[in-house]
Amino acid sequence: MITVEQRDLAEAVADLLVKRSPESEVRRLMADDAGYDPALWAELSEMGLLGLAIPEEYGGAGAGSVELGVVMEQMGATLLCAPYLSTAVLAANLLVALADPTECAEVLPRIAAGDLIATVAFAEPGSARPPDEPRTTARPDGSGWRLTGTKTFVLDALTAQRLYVTAGSGVFAVERGVPGLTVTPLATVDQTRKQGHLTLDDTPARLVGAIGAGADALDEALDRATVALLGEQAGGAMRAMEMSADYAKTRFQFGRAIGSFQAIKHMCADMLLEAQSALSAARHVAAAFDAAEPDRFADLALAQAYCSDAFVSVAATTIQVHGGIGFTWEHPAHLYLRRARTDAQIFGDPARHRERYVRLREAQS
Amino acid sequence: MTNDEVRDEVRQWLAANWDPAMDRGRWAQLVFDAGWAVPSWEPEWWGRGLTDPQSRVVAAEFAAVGAPGTGHDRANLFATTLHDLGTDEQKRRLIPPSIRGETKWCLLYSEPGAGSDLAGLRTRADRDGDEWVVNGQKVWTSFAKTADYGLLVARTDWDVSKHNGITFFMFPMRQAGVEIRPIHQITGESEFNEVFITGARVPHANLVGEPGGGWSVLQLALAYERRLMGDLARTSRSAHKPQADTDSLVAMARNAGNLGDSHIRQEIARVEAYAAVNRWNTQRAKATTDRAEAATLLALGKIAMSRILHETARVQTEIVGPESMLTGPDNPVGDAVTFRTLNAYFTSIGGGTDQIQRNIVGERVLGLPKEPEPYRNAPFRELPH
Repeated sequence: MITVEQRDLAEAVADLLVKRSPESEVRRLMADDAGYDPALWAELSEMGLLGLAIPEEYGGAGAGSVELGVVMEQMGATLLCAPYLSTAVLAANLLVALADPTECAEVLPRIAAGDLIATVAFAEPGSARPPDEPRTTARPDGSGWRLTGTKTFVLDALTAQRLYVTAGSGVFAVERGVPGLTVTPLATVDQTRKQGHLTLDDTPARLVGAIGAGADALDEALDRATVALLGEQAGGAMRAMEMSADYAKTRFQFGRAIGSFQAIKHMCADMLLEAQSALSAARHVAAAFDAAEPDRFADLALAQAYCSDAFVSVAATTIQVHGGIGFTWEHPAHLYLRRARTDAQIFGDPARHRERYVRLREAQS
Repeated sequence: MTNDEVRDEVRQWLAANWDPAMDRGRWAQLVFDAGWAVPSWEPEWWGRGLTDPQSRVVAAEFAAVGAPGTGHDRANLFATTLHDLGTDEQKRRLIPPSIRGETKWCLLYSEPGAGSDLAGLRTRADRDGDEWVVNGQKVWTSFAKTADYGLLVARTDWDVSKHNGITFFMFPMRQAGVEIRPIHQITGESEFNEVFITGARVPHANLVGEPGGGWSVLQLALAYERRLMGDLARTSRSAHKPQADTDSLVAMARNAGNLGDSHIRQEIARVEAYAAVNRWNTQRAKATTDRAEAATLLALGKIAMSRILHETARVQTEIVGPESMLTGPDNPVGDAVTFRTLNAYFTSIGGGTDQIQRNIVGERVLGLPKEPEPYRNAPFRELPH
């Protein structure tokens, strides 16, 4: 159930993004190394959006997953280019989960204020999921630590001023530009969302939270970020579906709008089912997390697999419905497919989430 | 009157009057006289002038004590159609016996040649004095054998366009010239019948609406039918766990010894996701105050349910493997899977095929243009068939 306040929030974000994140701006930022507009980032902060996942005591709104979800829907719909998922969702949730008061007090208010881009580096070569045991090592060095290893698929690695790196059984803060840290951009299919690769060679770092607490905190933060990602996927799928239906009404062949042909009409009806189901899934799971319902992890696993498949399927069908124009770089249809294919991997692929679901069900019966 | 006041009143009335041992006819008369048979109708037409939700409150209270006799304002399509569109004479003559349960009805809409395109029906009615003579064949009729009346649509004018030559009758079933044959379904069951009508008669006094105006009467009757289907879906959902069939996929695979098979595990999660998102769509439709949003989600429900039923049966087939070749009481596992596989078509064909449903979703929800209908305005007799 979306409240009036949540609907107002979604509409305010939609109004802003229609003006500030049109396709022309998305394309400009795709070609830009930083990949975001600092002025728009400041506006997102002024609207309180960067602190949605941050408790009030640390300068945030202390909002729930439902609020975050409806905002992500709008960002997904416009393919907003900004380090929102990395900074305002993943890093913020990781710090909340680690509950290190010093780090929270220092960093969370700066994230909410739009003064700090942060990210989390957890994946290592070969998988987008956290390894069971990070090969990246941490060794004590006086009052600090030194990290050695490689991290990959790191969201917004190039723009992040602070990187939270998992190593051993802890999470460590690494500042941009310290000796021994090399950040290399990855050539991504989805240019609206930047990723990078980290090489850590005896890199100075600071422990955040306790040794041994890293894996659980990361799991919790990734689950919460995955809940938010559902909103992005649903929003993207809804927009792609609407693009297709609109095109089917205006494109004429054989003297008729192509949407009058059942071959096209049925594709549009199926896209509507996928997109609306994804939206219902995103909203349900967000509410389930806010209410701490016991089934929320199984629901999340099922929803993440479903929303990944749904967004990819809707975006792919959007290209097909558009025909020749959909095959051109100039048309935005492929941008949605690129985002959808990335979203279907970044926090684990659909098969992995389905397997997680069955494991949870097995444990119940 | 508030819903709570209605609930109190019906409870008190039931406490004072309901006796499970009472003769059914006597009970029906009591309910009828008290206005509980059709609570949402006007007092001058045997009702109590309650609202639609209050009528459901009454139904719930009757159901709670196991008393029959109410709900004819929702479940009796014969009576609701006559109530809205019948003449005063028709109402007085036909409705009271029906809502006392003394007469039964069935639906005579579909024909072998008129399924998805119902307006293409070819059963004919020809005027003969104070009567009409009916010839034709109807199909997919439930309860035909016990019915006293059929809600009949028949063509009375072949020289106008197909929607404009149809007339609606309350057709007497118990007469010579009406032959009923059960349909043997692919599941082995027989819920439906074919009705062959040869020179049977219906009085002109039983014509509902105007001659040639049957299509709009039918739209009203169909709207009541959809409301009834929604009621039934709601009550059966609250009575049973939703999609009970899929709840057992993990157990079924465990029993079959292939719960460790990664392909089976993937398929189980895939089909359970279909069922889950359908539940979440329904929840969202119920919770929203945005009527367009609710209507969109409800329109998708039938396609979604078809997918759930077909996909569940498909995954169950994969789980039980060769058992799916076997049938009969000695092979209950395979037999049940085959039944579900075949019975899934009940939902994907009955009540409008999935393909027609996709047309409706595309046109009414997404606003896509309709397929051109070259014969829409042509005289019916010119239609190829």
